[in-house]
Amino acid sequence: MSMCAQTSLVQVFPAFSGRPARSFAVIIEPVNQPETQDRDVALLRQIAAGDRTAFAEFYDRHSTLMFSVAMKILNDNSEAQDVLQETFLQIWEKAGKFDPKLGKASSWVAIMTRNKAVDKIRASQRRSRLADEAATAHAIAAEVADTVNENLHGHEEAKIIQAAIVGLPEEQRHAIELAYFSGLTQDEISKKLNTPLGTIKARIRRGLLKLRDQLEGRHY
Amino acid sequence: MQEQASLHVLGALTDTEAYEFKKAMKADPELQALVASLSIATEALASAVPAAEPPPQLRAKILDQVAPRQKMVTLPERKSGFALWLPWSLATCLASLCVLLFAQDSKLKNTLTAQAEQINSLHQLAASLQSATNNLQQTVFALQETNRLANLRIAMLNSLLADAPKAVAVSLWDDSKQQGVFVVQNLKPLPADRDYQLWVLDNGTTPVDAGVFRVDEKGNVRVEFKAKQPIKVAGRFAVTEEVRGGVTSPTIKNMVLASN
Repeated sequence: MSMCAQTSLVQVFPAFSGRPARSFAVIIEPVNQPETQDRDVALLRQIAAGDRTAFAEFYDRHSTLMFSVAMKILNDNSEAQDVLQETFLQIWEKAGKFDPKLGKASSWVAIMTRNKAVDKIRASQRRSRLADEAATAHAIAAEVADTVNENLHGHEEAKIIQAAIVGLPEEQRHAIELAYFSGLTQDEISKKLNTPLGTIKARIRRGLLKLRDQLEGRHY
Repeated sequence: MQEQASLHVLGALTDTEAYEFKKAMKADPELQALVASLSIATEALASAVPAAEPPPQLRAKILDQVAPRQKMVTLPERKSGFALWLPWSLATCLASLCVLLFAQDSKLKNTLTAQAEQINSLHQLAASLQSATNNLQQTVFALQETNRLANLRIAMLNSLLADAPKAVAVSLWDDSKQQGVFVVQNLKPLPADRDYQLWVLDNGTTPVDAGVFRVDEKGNVRVEFKAKQPIKVAGRFAVTEEVRGGVTSPTIKNMVLASN
């Protein structure tokens, strides 16, 4: 899997409590995050120069995160594969435009994947159905062992991240999920939730700042 | 700005709003830092979704689609402003020259067409003039002929002889050439020691010797003659019978033919 190049299997642990039928989960030793970010930046520069080997390594490092985001938004394996393919081709073309000052490479590729998946929803006019689904079922996984975070950051870190998200006030988390995973604009969220636009903006802002404050400095 | 930045990192801005926000972010390092910090939250969101593995064959499929990029060609460094604008200036000059040449070409074509038309007109005029010249020449010839005829004096001489009443003569005199033709019919032949002598009466009165002649056995002859002196106006003609070789003054009693 994608992290094999940089990590090693160090521990096997029981599944998260309350989660049935999973005897073992793979814990990946957390990597040194600043080094990871540096590596991503270096790989993107090599990709911009046309290095296919670097591109393959970058695929291994981020394809799970990207495919998971696509699957969450589209709920369709074939379409998620299309999105993953299109997004990687976009990375191949636009790697030189990545600006590390504006965030991590993983954030960059995640939002690119998200945008392509949302475009696909809009193109197929499935938004309404998916938005409804998002409104009734939260996007965030209920159990940490199911998440991408666990693969990326290890179980303990994943638990912290999951706790930070789940710990957000319900209305804030809901507004954020509708924006990120359903592809709704602020106006659309306002209408969807029948809540004033200013309130929606404030919820999103407060929720994201709270999440940032809780996770900042943890180097994941 | 925090609200806009939050919506931006979530992708919840409209295209127009996103464009404006990115423009503002480029000029604002603090805004860039805010966006970078908020991306921690969005990454956490993205990675909190249930994990899903892409099918293994997708990796090879994607890698196959990216061809090694062509080696980047390093463009020569722009050395100076002069080197930068010179090619553009030359290109501009060439473009201007082309426009100028095109305009001149069009102008020349128009001029050429006009000149060709003018040449055709001139040809037509020349043909017309030639025709007029021919007409003029014909007119001149006609006038000359008319003039020549005007200079001619034709006179018929009748017989004054009782024994030869059918004798007749015609005199054709050309004033300009001072010569004439004299034709006689039915005039009796003379003995060897006698001649007929032709006289031109200048102004109708002064007889001028125009030579002697003899007729054949039938009394006919055609002679060309000249007067011995210049004739101003050939008024009348007369023929006398004289001694052979003629005389200086006509013998009136021997006049045989005379014009009116």
